[in-house]
Amino acid sequence: MKTVVLIAMIVLADSTGDVFLTRGMKQVGEISTLHPRTLLAIGRKVITNKSFLSGIFFMAVTFFSFVIVLSWADLSFVFPARSLIYVTSTFGAKWILKETISFQRWGGILLVCLGVALVSLP
Amino acid sequence: MASTPRRASLKKTIAILIPAVFAQAAGNVLLSMRMKQIGTSQLFVLVPRAVESPTLWFGTALLIVSFLLFLTALSWADLSFVVPAVSMEVAMNVIFAHHFLHEVVSLTRWSGVLLISIGVLLILRSESQKVQGIQEL
Repeated sequence: MKTVVLIAMIVLADSTGDVFLTRGMKQVGEISTLHPRTLLAIGRKVITNKSFLSGIFFMAVTFFSFVIVLSWADLSFVFPARSLIYVTSTFGAKWILKETISFQRWGGILLVCLGVALVSLP
Repeated sequence: MASTPRRASLKKTIAILIPAVFAQAAGNVLLSMRMKQIGTSQLFVLVPRAVESPTLWFGTALLIVSFLLFLTALSWADLSFVVPAVSMEVAMNVIFAHHFLHEVVSLTRWSGVLLISIGVLLILRSESQKVQGIQEL
C-alpha cells in the first residue's frame, strides 16, 4: 500500500512538473537564437520564472520519492509503473495546457507506455 | 496564418529532440561504463574516485545538455508531443547498452523497443497531420 501511494506520488509529481516546466518555457517564449548573450538573457528569464521553478520543485519531489520507494520496493516493479507518467502528462497537457490530442496521438502514447513497461521488466 | 511558423517549428522540434535523445543515451552509457570500472559500493572510495573522473563529468554534462534541449523544445512545442517523443531515449538506451556495453538484452526488452518505436512514429505522424490540418484552415 505504501508503495502504491509513493508510486502515485511519483507519477503525479512528475506530470505536474512537466506541465509547470512547459508553462514556464511558453511564458519565456520561443527560443530561436544561438547568440550566446541572448541565450544567457533567456536563461536568466527562465530561472526566475515562477512556473519553471515550481516545475523544478516537482521534479525534485519525483526524484526523492523515487529514491525513497527504492529503499524497500523492487526497481523492476517501480520502473515499469513509472511509465504511467506518459498517460498522466498527456492528461495534464489536455486539461491544463489545452492541447488537442488526436486519436492517433493517444494510440502512440499507449504504445510508448506499454513499450517502456516491457523494457523495464526484469 | 499561424501555419508557416508551425510547420517550421516541427522540423526545429525534431532537430532539437534527436540530439537530446542521443546525448541522454550516450551520457548514460558513459556513466554506467565508468561506474562499473570503479566498481565499488563503498561510498568513501566511490565518491572521491567519481569526482575526479573526466568520463563521469562528461557523461553528466551530456545529461545536462539533453535536459536543456528538452526545455528548449518545450518553449514552442506541445508537451503531449515532446514527452512521448523523448521516450525514444528508453529504446536508445537499450540499443546503446547492447552495442557499446555488450549487455545481453532479452526478447521482452527488444519487443518493448519495437513498441516504443512504433508509438513514437505514430506521435510524429499525429504532429505532422496537426500541422497540415492547421495549414488547410
